[in-house]
This record gives sequence, structure tokens and C-alpha cells, in this order.
Amino acid sequence: MGKTIIDAHNVSKTYKETAVPVRALQDVHLHIEEGEFVALVGPSGSGKSTLLNMIGGLDEPTSGTVYVDGVEITKLPENKLIDFRLQNIGFVFQSFNLIPVLTSRENIGFVLQLQKVSKKDREKRVLELLREVDLEEKIDSRPGELSGGQQQRVAVARALASKPKIILADEPTANLDSKSASNLLDIMAKLNKEEKITFLFSTHDQRVIEKARRVITLVDGKVDSDVNQKPT
Amino acid sequence: MLVQIAWRNIWRNKTRSFVVIGSIVVGLWASIFILAFAWGLYKNNIDESVNRHLSHIQVHHPEFTDQQESKYAIQNADSILSVLKIDDRVQSASMRTIVKGMITSPTTVSGVTIYGISPNAEIKQIGLNQNLIQGDYFTSGKDNEIFIGEKLAKKLKIKLRSKVVLTFTDIGSSIVSGAFRVGGIYRSKNLSLDEVNVYVQKQSLDNLLGLQHSESNELAILLKDESALDSYITYVRQLMPNQKVEDWKDLAPDLELVIESFNLYTYIISGIILLALTFGIVNTMLMSVLERIRELGMLMAIGLNKRKIFFMIMLETLFLTLLGCPVGLLVGWLSVLVLGTFGINIAIFSEGLASYGFSSIIYPALDGQIYWIVAIMCLITALLSAIYPAYRALQLNPAESIRKI
Repeated sequence: MGKTIIDAHNVSKTYKETAVPVRALQDVHLHIEEGEFVALVGPSGSGKSTLLNMIGGLDEPTSGTVYVDGVEITKLPENKLIDFRLQNIGFVFQSFNLIPVLTSRENIGFVLQLQKVSKKDREKRVLELLREVDLEEKIDSRPGELSGGQQQRVAVARALASKPKIILADEPTANLDSKSASNLLDIMAKLNKEEKITFLFSTHDQRVIEKARRVITLVDGKVDSDVNQKPT
Repeated sequence: MLVQIAWRNIWRNKTRSFVVIGSIVVGLWASIFILAFAWGLYKNNIDESVNRHLSHIQVHHPEFTDQQESKYAIQNADSILSVLKIDDRVQSASMRTIVKGMITSPTTVSGVTIYGISPNAEIKQIGLNQNLIQGDYFTSGKDNEIFIGEKLAKKLKIKLRSKVVLTFTDIGSSIVSGAFRVGGIYRSKNLSLDEVNVYVQKQSLDNLLGLQHSESNELAILLKDESALDSYITYVRQLMPNQKVEDWKDLAPDLELVIESFNLYTYIISGIILLALTFGIVNTMLMSVLERIRELGMLMAIGLNKRKIFFMIMLETLFLTLLGCPVGLLVGWLSVLVLGTFGINIAIFSEGLASYGFSSIIYPALDGQIYWIVAIMCLITALLSAIYPAYRALQLNPAESIRKI
């Protein structure tokens, strides 16, 4: 058995802001080891994004605990949580991934700058990352000048910038055409294999599900099934 | 890079940014213009009072100010005047005989202050010659000429060349009268004074009062530059230790109050205008924040802490203000420069204003320091206005923000 990287115990989340409280997650247990490539699937409203937010420390569970790399993030004060996220977790969102006023170089460099990486090292790392996602020629393009697939690849590069242990991706291919989606998945799979980065992504996309080695299905905020599979 | 992001963010919606910059420009310009206009109005009134009525320094017999009786006169005033005039700081100096009395026309009577003046010396001071609307300035050679204000002439129902009688008490406390003929009718910028001040030749009035021509009730000294006032008044006090020497601020404390209160007006007027600006900036910056909820959520998710988010929004406002302020200052300065040169004719209100001693042409003017005070107030206002939108950004929950459509 590998090292446990994500450990969620009895995680529940109830949104009480609505007239009728919505139970988005109910006593979810989740155990993910370092280097896994996991797809989180389920119908809309099943709690996929909510669970990703809990694991990423973007939202607090109503009850339960979440450990990431041995740290109980549900107990971290906000400033330490932000710092923890910066150092350990990379995010890829469905859309609005990049800062629109910055170029690819600046978007990736921004995260490195937050980590106080020197300018020289930043430049080097940005080039490395853009090479990994095969977008060196778009280094000085702003998001508006890139296609959806290219934007997501820059987002993956940015998520990788801080050398995180985990990348959480919320429906990363939802807005992409099949070629771009396939290309993005190949990059993610390569990074998972070569750099042992743990990937956890929510998706509806059958092509993405087929690439995953483990598929966790959520239904009505509960884990319905958790199966290992041989990726295609 | 936060500075870079903030700078680029303000150009994402150029129209909105130009609206904010425009509001700052207009707010700053309006503050400057209103203050310059108000100061122009007051300055004109002060200059008129100092140059045409009070002069910078007046010297009286110590009893004259309280008793207002002509017998309290400065002895050898003519010799002293010659000494005073030699000084480089002095533009003009004159002797005046002053008595309160009655003016009688064939139809009515009115209380007046009679000034006995030396016509040549007063050309640069009272400037009666410039305000004449009828008649000529002491050119007839006759010593019984009297110059009265248009308002008084109307009240007395008299015209140029009409005969009037002045009645007053001489230095021996006897009632004396003298007949005078109207040699000119004047209209100054202060109608209230026009109704009560009449001017005759000093020697004529001295003769009626029983004063020596070398005596004087008032020595009025106009300086070339007001900045010399403090040093010169010290000199005059040393020269005439037994006389009462006062500057225009002592003589007309209300005028000094106007100057002192102007600073207060500066803050009140600017405050009101900038308050309006506050609403504009709060509204615009709040829109800017609410439009970017998802993006702000993403920034928080990738590691930007709330302090930096707050700083970024404040920076955006600071940039907009720093762009607007110089333009506002420039437009304000140009307006004051142009209108301060050509003046603003407010003749439509001049009758009312003239009653209070104001001119009908206003020359806006503003001290350089006031520009900076208004600009700093504008900057502070803009930054304070940005606090609420920035605070709203801090309240965002990254997970909820990212989900926002």
C-alpha cells in the first residue's frame, strides 16, 4: 500500500442558506493514496464539486474531517489553509481558470511568485511547464487569445507550478471538444505517471472516466460505488 | 505582479474606468472652481475694501476712534505724512478729516460721514475719480464741491450741480453749516457705503471745523505689497508712539473672519462634492467586484490571501484616482487661470451683490495650497470609497464564488 494522501472521514455538508436545507454530502468516507488517478462521477447535484471543495479546503464541511497529506485541513485557520493550498494542491476548474489580464507566462508565474520563487527560477519553471503541456509558443498569449483546450492546458501547467502533491480538477473537459479533451487527459495521465502527482477529478465525460484507474461514484451525496479499473 | 494585475484590470472595462476617472475629474474641477469662485468673490470684496476704503494702515488720535469727534486730530500730520511717503514700501498716503453730520437737500435730510480729502493723494486710494458717473473730479477749482453717491443722490432727490447743506459739530462743539454744490455723483462697488460717504476738499472741511490744515483725523497708508504690512506697521508705531495705528484687519475684523472662515468653507464645499463622488466610486467598484466573483474565487483558490485581494481592489481604485486627479487639477487650474484673467460677469445679480460690497465681475482665484488640499481630499475619498467594495470581496467564499454564473 502507498502513502495515504487524501483521507476524508464522515464528511457531510448541508447548505442551509436555501429555504429547504440541501444535504450535498452525507457521511462520505474517502481514502486516496499517493499517485492515484481517480475519477469522481455521478449525476448533477450528486455532490462531486462539493466533495472536491472540501478536499481542496475551499469550503468547510458541516461535519467530519479531511486530512490531506496527513494534515487535518478542516482545523487549519484560514491563512494557514491558503498557504497549505498554495504549497500542496493544484486546481483546474471547468471555466474561468486563468486570470484574463495575464499572459500564459504570467498566469503560471503568478503562483510561483506567491510562493516567493525568484524571477530567474520562475522563468525556468514556466518554460518547463509550458513545454510539458506543449504550449511553449503561446507563452505570451493572454487567455482570450487561446482556445478552450489551450486555456485548460495552461491551467494544468499553472496547477503544477507549485509542484503540488494533488491536483483537483472540477469537470476539466466539460467545455472542450473531444480532441482537446483527449489531449488534456493524455497530459494529465503522463504527469500522473511520471511525476507521481495524485489526480482527483470530477467528470461526466465517459472518455475521462475510461482513462481513470479508479472510479468513485457519488449519488445523492453518498459514495455509491468505488471501483478500480484498467484504464483504456 | 499584483500591481500589474490591478493596472490591467482597470482597462478591462474601459468605459467604466473612464466614467470613474471622469467623475474624479469633474469632482475635482467642481471643487476647485467653486472654491476659486468663492475666493474670487471674497478677495474682490477685501481688495475693494482695503484699496478703496480702508487702506492697509490707518492712524488716528487715540480718542478719535471711540468718540468720533473731529477735535481729536493728529498734530503735524502733514510733516509725518511726508516722512511716511518717502518709504519704498508705500504706494500712497493721505490725510483725511472726518466728521459725522447731516446733509440737507431742498426736499430731505440724511445722516452722512463727511470726508475731507486731498484730491490728488486720493486718486490712488479712494479712487473716487474712477467711480464717477456724473461730473468731473475736483476740476472746477471751487472749494465748495461735494461728491456724493448715486444712491444718496436719489434719496435726496438731487442732481449734479444741486446745492446741499452740510451740518455738523466743529471742534469747539458748536453746530456749523456749510453750503456745497454737487460736483460729481459716484457709484462704487459698495452701495451701502455710497449712501453714507460724501467727499469734500480737506481744506474746506478744516475751515468749517476749525482744524489746522496740518492736522488730520486719519492718516491712510496704502502699501505696494501687503506682505510688507507687518514690518511697516511696526515702523509706523515707532514713528507715532502716541497715536493709534491699526492695520485693515484691526479696522475690519469681519474681513479677516472671511479669510479665516474660507478655510473651513474649503473643507465643507469640497466635502459635499466629494461625498457625491463617493457614491459614484462605491457603485462602480462594487459592480467591478460583483462582476468578477468567479475570478476572485479562483484567485483565492490558487493561493491569493484576502489581504492581497483587498490590496488589489484598493490599488485599482488608487490607479483610477491617480489618473483622474492630475487631469482634474489641470482642468481646474486652467479654468481658474482663464476665468481669473477674463472674469465672470454676474451682472444679473450685481445689484444685490453690490449692496454687500461685491463686484459684478468675479475673478476666480485660488491659493496653490488649496489645489493640493482638494486633491488629497479627493484621493482619500476615493480610497475610502473603495473600502466597502473591497470588503465585499473579502466576504466571498471561494467555493461558492467559483460556482457563480
